[in-house]
Amino acid sequence: MTRFTKHSQTIILVIFALYALAPVYLVLLASMRSEADLFNGPLSLPWPINTSNYLRVWSDSGFSTFFWNSLKISVAVTVLVLLTAPLAGYAFAKMQFRGREALFALFLAGLVVPAPSVIVALYGNLQTLGLIDTHIGVILPQAALLMPFAVFMMRTVMQDVPDELIEAATMDGAGPLYGFLTVVVPLARPGLMSLTLIVFLFSWQEYLLPLVVLQTETLKTITVGAASLQGRYGVDYGGIAAAGLIAFAPLVVLFLTMQRSFVRGLSAGAVK
Amino acid sequence: MTARPAYLFLLPALFLYGAFVVLPILQVTAYSFFSWDNGIAQGFVGFANYARLGSDTVFWAALSHNAIWVVLTLAFPLMAGLLLAAILAERGPRTIQIMSAIYFLPRTIPLVVAGIIWGWIYNPLFGLLNYGLDMLGLGNLGGAWLAEESTALVSLNVVGAWTFFGFCVVIYLGAIQSIDPSLYEAAEVDGAPWWRKFRDITVPLLRNSTLFLGLYAAIEAMRFFDLVWVTTQGGPGYATEVLTTHVYKTFFLVGDFGYAAVLSVVLLVIVLSLSAIAFRLLRAK
Amino acid sequence: MKRTLWGAPLALVLATQAVAQDTVVVTQWDQFAQSGITAAGPAMDELIATCKPALNGAEVLRTIAPSIGIRDSYRLAVSAGKTPDLAYTWPAASVLAGYARVGALAPLDDYYAKYGWDQVNAFYKGRNSYEGKVYGLPMEQDLMGVYFNKDLFKENGLAVPTTYAEFQAVVEALKADGIIPVAFGNRDRWPATNTFSLILGLTAGRALEEKVFFGDEPWTNPAFLQAAQTFQDWANSDTFPRGFNGVGYDEANALFLSGRAAMTITGTWVLQDMIRGAEFDLGVFMLPPLADGVAPGTMWGEGSQWQMSASASPEVRDAAAAYLNCLVSPESRQVWVQKGYTVPIGTTPAELAEWGANPVVQEFFTGGLATPDSNFYDLHTTLPESVTQVLYPELQRLVGGEVTPEAFLQSMQAAWETAGANGERWIP
Repeated sequence: MTRFTKHSQTIILVIFALYALAPVYLVLLASMRSEADLFNGPLSLPWPINTSNYLRVWSDSGFSTFFWNSLKISVAVTVLVLLTAPLAGYAFAKMQFRGREALFALFLAGLVVPAPSVIVALYGNLQTLGLIDTHIGVILPQAALLMPFAVFMMRTVMQDVPDELIEAATMDGAGPLYGFLTVVVPLARPGLMSLTLIVFLFSWQEYLLPLVVLQTETLKTITVGAASLQGRYGVDYGGIAAAGLIAFAPLVVLFLTMQRSFVRGLSAGAVK
Repeated sequence: MTARPAYLFLLPALFLYGAFVVLPILQVTAYSFFSWDNGIAQGFVGFANYARLGSDTVFWAALSHNAIWVVLTLAFPLMAGLLLAAILAERGPRTIQIMSAIYFLPRTIPLVVAGIIWGWIYNPLFGLLNYGLDMLGLGNLGGAWLAEESTALVSLNVVGAWTFFGFCVVIYLGAIQSIDPSLYEAAEVDGAPWWRKFRDITVPLLRNSTLFLGLYAAIEAMRFFDLVWVTTQGGPGYATEVLTTHVYKTFFLVGDFGYAAVLSVVLLVIVLSLSAIAFRLLRAK
Repeated sequence: MKRTLWGAPLALVLATQAVAQDTVVVTQWDQFAQSGITAAGPAMDELIATCKPALNGAEVLRTIAPSIGIRDSYRLAVSAGKTPDLAYTWPAASVLAGYARVGALAPLDDYYAKYGWDQVNAFYKGRNSYEGKVYGLPMEQDLMGVYFNKDLFKENGLAVPTTYAEFQAVVEALKADGIIPVAFGNRDRWPATNTFSLILGLTAGRALEEKVFFGDEPWTNPAFLQAAQTFQDWANSDTFPRGFNGVGYDEANALFLSGRAAMTITGTWVLQDMIRGAEFDLGVFMLPPLADGVAPGTMWGEGSQWQMSASASPEVRDAAAAYLNCLVSPESRQVWVQKGYTVPIGTTPAELAEWGANPVVQEFFTGGLATPDSNFYDLHTTLPESVTQVLYPELQRLVGGEVTPEAFLQSMQAAWETAGANGERWIP
């Protein structure tokens, strides 16, 4: 490769790195402005750096509540999916039963179902069940909407567990659930880790369900809160930027510390 | 051994999925055959609601925007991901790890927040983009971006691409790293320049990944909602209206249950057909 | 078929609601949050305490929903047959009529007879009626006017315009001085409806508006065309900031408050934010008539109204009505004015002065209330939702220069006819 080619390639890499990072940097700057003056140069450096926007948003604007609501919902969705999807994925990967292909196809179809297309009926059902304006009303449908992806991914993961080990476990007279828990789960740990991260990421990012299901201010999640700040706080851009950062910082930290698991999870299905 | 344990293993997942996804789909399909007044069913009307699709110009505009979104996504983030992955693959492992992390980072940001951030960048009053163009003496190239019918959809796609190209890089990188290095070595012996290796070896061998990403992008293009809703709500006019926002408005804002159900069914039929094609194509490989 | 039919099996599995109550409980939805556009929360809290005796032992169970979302939440509650006993929601007119049509609301005529409630004049009563019965008790009132920066006017030697020609001269003078004449931002889609409602009323007049709404006069009539043309002309001639369709409502207000725009045309609902945010001498005037022979006036509406569920029991309804009567009493109105930042219907300019309302508030309401007979309609609180959802995007296109005024009105007429065919038109 010529030096020219290599340098021009490096330039391309850097340009796209800027494309990826500049907006994040911009929010970081805005969140530390002492007085957000939106009509004066968006690039002017904030000085002195201050954290008052964060404190204000966190305590006065109810962002601590939004944050804990999001955490609660995301953890609940993740736990719910972890309790159900691996079992189903294992059944599809390793067990023989009637209707296996048809049931799997049913789950596969769900991979692409857009939430807005079921919301028309879902909303009425939640109302009938008295689940509108409750966290359960967000958690259950969200786990359900993520289920096809989770089951699909778990099936892929479980297929890699060697049959001999499973047979050895069942030979000892252990029940299927015992064998699953003692043999399969430990072996599938990296896959389960990926699933945990991805489900947590997706449910933290979810906007439509909490937007339509939750009405009371103190029940709302961080994505809905961040979006509503736009209207409520008008032009307090320092505050909105701080709120935005609070909304995605946990995900970025999670991602950076567990990049491998993340990437493996998100690309599940791409390679197979 | 009976199949009972298998069904028991399946039951919890199936129950959740059935109650909150499959059942609503069946209900929505049923709703689409009734006439409604303020959300109260009035009577069976057969396909009358479906007949409205033909003259609903917003529906056709939305559908065309979804299609344009697919094309734009194939043209920009997908191609960019391919190029970046091909370049990165020849660098050291440390560079690969850091750069792919950087490219992937926007994917972890909720689309709602991405929409807010890019809304500022595009803002006609104080946005960074117009400000930057002014600084460079190109102020007359500035515009209202998301607020002009001619630029709104493309400007929005740049935001979508921002969250998607890193994913493409990661998928392509994985595939490139599994290409037999001797192919490149042989080409090098022949003195082939970089771009020719890219064109003759990398691109053809990555066909499967391209197919996967293309279909993934197409399905996502039919499903996306958050980004439009927090930035333009489908505007200006109908310039960024997509099927999901049309469903949302028809249901939540107009309260026209029957027609919202029709739109939902159409949306479902499209994504399910796309995914059926996807599985057929991917399995054929 | 009720739409709950399909959900019934699910309900059997999961329903966990068992409520046994001895005391009468009135469930209430309102918008009185502690902050934001309707920051009347503290006033509401105080008034609930004050009006408790009127309830005669009944309890009020509140749910606070944001004012933007309550409109949609209420519609969905109607569809599920789960409306709260009492709601303070919006809009009235066609939307309220739609709920009355499907039998979701309880008529309030008996309570109007019992308690008087004469502060609700014929215009407001009509907006809250359907086929001769009243279904809403409006409380606040919204007026449109022009906020202006007195300092900027003075610096540029401008006087408050009293005719449209003078207004146009002011706009031209400001443009020549490099000042944005009118801060306007329409990214949120609804602000243009208010501006257009004002232009329309001052061009066509209330009588013609009513011929369109209640008669057979089409939207494509010459006066409506002139109004649409005027709005587009303003937009085309740099009356508004660059890229206004991408500017948020709050950003436009901030632009005005920053002193970069000399005026902004909006309603009384942001009075408090304006008064708090202005570091200059703030003034308000009423936009003069835009066409010859049209009486001065402004757009007005109730903002929101109290409405009662048809499914509420008679005891609950009686308790709720007594409670409402307390909420709209002169004593309560004083609390609203002083602590709730709202000016309820029936409040006179003299009362505002007596209760020590801010001078700008007094100025605004004195101007707007001086023309009760010619004040006109706010489109998006009057039209059926199906028409409003056409109005929003079509107005963005009109001011964006994407459609001609003729095409804009043709789209409106088409939506209007469809709504009429579906029985969505409002008959007071």
